[in-house]
Amino acid sequence: MGEFKSGFFMSETACNGRVLVVDDEPDIRKVVRMTLQKAGYEVIEAENGEKAIEAINTGENRLLLDVLICDIRMPKINGVEAIAYFQQEWPRVPIIVLTGFPDTDMATSFLRSGVVDYLVKPVEGEKLRTAVARAMEQRELAQL
Amino acid sequence: MTSNSTKIAIIGAGRGGTALLDLLHQIPDVDIVGIADKDPTAPGLQRAKELHVPVEEQVHDLIRNHGVNLIMDVTGDPSMAPFIQAMKRPGAEVLSGATTRLLWKLVQHQSKLEAELFQADKLAGLGSFAAGIAHDINNPLQLILGLAENLTDEQDLAVVHDQARDITEAVKRTSAICRDLTRYARRNGTGEDVMVNLNTKLDEALRIARYAVTLQDVTVVKRYAEDASVLGNPDELLHVFINLITNAVQAIQTRGTLTLQTTVSPDGHVSASVSDTGCGIPKEAFSKIFEPLYTTKPPGKGTGLGLYNVLSVISKMEGHICVESDVGVGTTFRIEFPQVQPTTSCAPL
Repeated sequence: MGEFKSGFFMSETACNGRVLVVDDEPDIRKVVRMTLQKAGYEVIEAENGEKAIEAINTGENRLLLDVLICDIRMPKINGVEAIAYFQQEWPRVPIIVLTGFPDTDMATSFLRSGVVDYLVKPVEGEKLRTAVARAMEQRELAQL
Repeated sequence: MTSNSTKIAIIGAGRGGTALLDLLHQIPDVDIVGIADKDPTAPGLQRAKELHVPVEEQVHDLIRNHGVNLIMDVTGDPSMAPFIQAMKRPGAEVLSGATTRLLWKLVQHQSKLEAELFQADKLAGLGSFAAGIAHDINNPLQLILGLAENLTDEQDLAVVHDQARDITEAVKRTSAICRDLTRYARRNGTGEDVMVNLNTKLDEALRIARYAVTLQDVTVVKRYAEDASVLGNPDELLHVFINLITNAVQAIQTRGTLTLQTTVSPDGHVSASVSDTGCGIPKEAFSKIFEPLYTTKPPGKGTGLGLYNVLSVISKMEGHICVESDVGVGTTFRIEFPQVQPTTSCAPL
């Protein structure tokens, strides 16, 4: 029984969902990874929009990406451009903006465009996990 | 100096004489033939030596000087006007009494206005820093919060130590932002000029300019000469470089290169330049870029005071600014600083 229980938990934690975190700051990617892994999400990272687009077009990510968390102020392809790309190419992947700059106009325009959440750093772990869980629900609804 | 220039003698080297000297020596068509004061310790005489303006030991020698066509009496001594009238060469005009007092007030007003414009430009700049500051503060805060949350139930002691150290580092990074900004925002003291290392100043300016403009797609190249130092006001030079760097990065619309360079020539001349591979300045705008309130930036992005202030700081230092620009290729602003006077040398008397 004991073995079964632990096996059940293992599979449950490994299957909560795959989240792509796009941020140019390695510190932020590290701390988001830490926060989400505690809730059983698998986290993959990209340092800018270009790398994020590369990541989603590689291997099994193409099919298995559940949620995108994206910063705005980044080099190469910035958050605004990357989000526009994802919304067009991968409309079923819910997007959470995680930015250092609270900008009401930008938040409104993102939320209108279909972004599921606009979070301003620093965001508490619990709030981030809730946002991801809500995004997962949306993802599941979209697949129905 | 052209033959049309006004050749001025300044009589009196107190506060008024010093201010007049500082103002007049910046004007290209004005030639200060000399300055004199009965008191050999008057502060304006020392300033004149710094500016290479001849100091005349005897007041009457200066009044009688052949080359002078305007004598400005700023002694405040009512007996001086009749003395000058009696001694001067025919054809030389005299400004004294109420006229020079009015002039002195105008000079004071002008320098106050310039200080205000300088400060206004800096404060307008602070507004444009908001996004950059928020980014630079909130990122480390996110790290601190995430690590602190983790530490509440972290069991591995090695991880606890690592993360506590990361928190300390993040706090230090954040407090450096406040240090940079308070240095930027403070009013320039009237303190003495000091030796300023241009390489360090350019680095500091780049750090602060990052708040206003995003450097992420800009390649920064530094070509610094060793010991590129000049005598000047460190806060004013910082603001000069922030202005030039901000302009350069804003001129680069997508991707490009920002080059910061300092040179020291074998004869000791020091220069600093800021170059970009941006949009360039059209020929017809060249004559206007240093005018106050002239800007090509969209509303809210520029005050039109940046280059005006740059020019006024550099002129005050007796330096020169050269601008080279090609539309679509890029722009270079090069500042040539005056040679630093060895302390032993004196201007010819």
